[in-house]
Amino acid sequence: MVILLSLKNCFQLHYGLKIPAAGFRCSANSGLIIQSVSSDIYQNLAVEDWVHDNMTLEDRHVLFMWRNSPTVVIGRHQNPWQECNLKIMREKNIKLARRRSGGGTVYHDLGNINLTFFTSKKKYERMENLKLVVRALKALRPQFDVRATERYDLLLNGNFKISGTAAKLGRTVAYHHCTLLCNADRFLLSSVLKSPYKGIKSNATPSMPALVKNLFEEDPSLTCEIVMDAIAAEYARCHKIDHCITLINPGDETVFPGINMKTKELQTWDWIYGKTPKFSIRTCFNMVYKQSLLEVKVDIQVKHGRIEACNIDLPEQWLPPAMCSELEKNLTGSKLCPSETAALASTLLRVCPQNYELHSKWSLLCETVMTLM
Amino acid sequence: ILARKFTDKHEWISVENGIGTVGISNFAQEALGDVVYCSLPEIGTKLNKQDEFGALESVKAASELYSPLTGEVTEINTALADNPGLVNKSCYEDGWLIKMTVDNPSELNELMNEDAYEKYIKSIED
Repeated sequence: MVILLSLKNCFQLHYGLKIPAAGFRCSANSGLIIQSVSSDIYQNLAVEDWVHDNMTLEDRHVLFMWRNSPTVVIGRHQNPWQECNLKIMREKNIKLARRRSGGGTVYHDLGNINLTFFTSKKKYERMENLKLVVRALKALRPQFDVRATERYDLLLNGNFKISGTAAKLGRTVAYHHCTLLCNADRFLLSSVLKSPYKGIKSNATPSMPALVKNLFEEDPSLTCEIVMDAIAAEYARCHKIDHCITLINPGDETVFPGINMKTKELQTWDWIYGKTPKFSIRTCFNMVYKQSLLEVKVDIQVKHGRIEACNIDLPEQWLPPAMCSELEKNLTGSKLCPSETAALASTLLRVCPQNYELHSKWSLLCETVMTLM
Repeated sequence: ILARKFTDKHEWISVENGIGTVGISNFAQEALGDVVYCSLPEIGTKLNKQDEFGALESVKAASELYSPLTGEVTEINTALADNPGLVNKSCYEDGWLIKMTVDNPSELNELMNEDAYEKYIKSIED
C-alpha cells in the first residue's frame, strides 16, 4: 500500500530546534518505510547521508527504497578507471556516482531496486536484512530459489547474483544497502562494468565480477512496485509497524534541511573522481601516423584524481623533445579527465609552431593520451 | 610499556614525547573482519577530538574512524597501503594508523584505561 502522505502529518519537524537528529521523526512508530520519488542517484544518496547525519536511531529503524536512472555506482574506496567504461558511459549519458559505503561497483537503472536499512550501530545486522528480503520474495513467489551467501550476495537458482550489499558504519548510526536486479538492462550492465583501461596499478578495493540475472526473467508477471510492496510488507511485519510507504522528495528542504548541499557535494568531481586512492597507469600503445606504426609508452602517477607526475616516451626524432616535455609539464597537476586534457591540448596547439606536420602529430598524441581517461 | 587509552568508538592512543600513536582495538578489528583498505588523512590535517579522520573498509563495509584527541596528524602508517591486513594481524603494533600531536593533554583523562575499556566491552557484549 503506497500512500502519499503529507509529511507534515506523519513527521514532526523539529529542525528549528537544536535537537540533533530530530528533524525527521515519526511520532507514532519505532519504524518507518520511505520511498523516494526521485530517480537521481545523487539526490537519493543524499537522503542516506541526511538520515545518517541527522537522525538518532537509538530505538528506531528506517527502510528506504529507491531507484535510479542509468548510473554506475562505485564503492567508497574504488577507482572508476579500473571499474567501469567511462567512455561508453559518457556516450550513453550514464551517470557515475561514488557512494560512502564500501564494496564494489554496481549498475543501476529503473529495473533495479535499492534498499537501505538504517539502524543504530548496535542493531546493524546485514544477514537479518537479507533474510527479510528473501522472505518477502518467497511470500510473493514460493517457487523462487533465492539464498543469501557469506559475502552477503543474494543468489537466484544457486549461481546467479541478483543482489549485492554494501554498508557504512558511523558514530552511532549504521546503514546497510543492497541492490535487487528485477529487470535491469543486462547488456548495458555488462558493457559498462568492463574497464577498457590497461596498466592501472592501485590499492583500491576491487570488485568481484559475478554472473547476474534479473528476477523477472524467472517471472515476467512481476513489477518493481509489487516487489517493493512485498518487501515493505515483510519489513512492517517484522518490526510490528504499519505497512505504509511514505513517499519522499529528496529535493524538499522543508523536510530535509540542508539536503541540497549534500546532493551537490556528491556530484562534484572532487568526490566522484578525486577520492580515488592514489594509483599509477603504466601502459604502452600504438599510434598510426602516415601509415607507419609507432609505440608510445606512458607512465602517469595519479593522486586525488589529478596527474601528479607524467612521462611520455616517444620514438626518437618523432616530435621535438621540447614539445613532448611541454605536454608532460602541462598535464602535471591537471585532472585525469578528457575534457580538461582537450582544453589543455587546444591551448598548446595554438602556441605550437605553425607547422602542419608538427600540428597533426601533436594532436594525434593528445588524442591518444585522452583515451586513457 | 606505554599505557594505551581507549575511546568508546574503539580507537586507542598511546602517547610518547608529546606524540600520540592511534590505532583500533582488538575488539574492533575482530568485529570488522578482514580490512581491505585504509583511508587515512594527509599529514598536517588538524583534528578535533571525535572528528572523523578516515575509514577502514572490510567485507563491503566502510567504518569511520574518530580522533581520540585534538591535535595535528604528524605521520600516517604508509605500510597499510600495501598491507591493510596489518590492522587485523597487529592492531596494537604494526597496524597502527596515525600519529598526532596532543594539543590538550587533559583530554587524555577523559579516555578509558585498559581495565575500564575491558569492562566497557563486556557491558556492550551483554
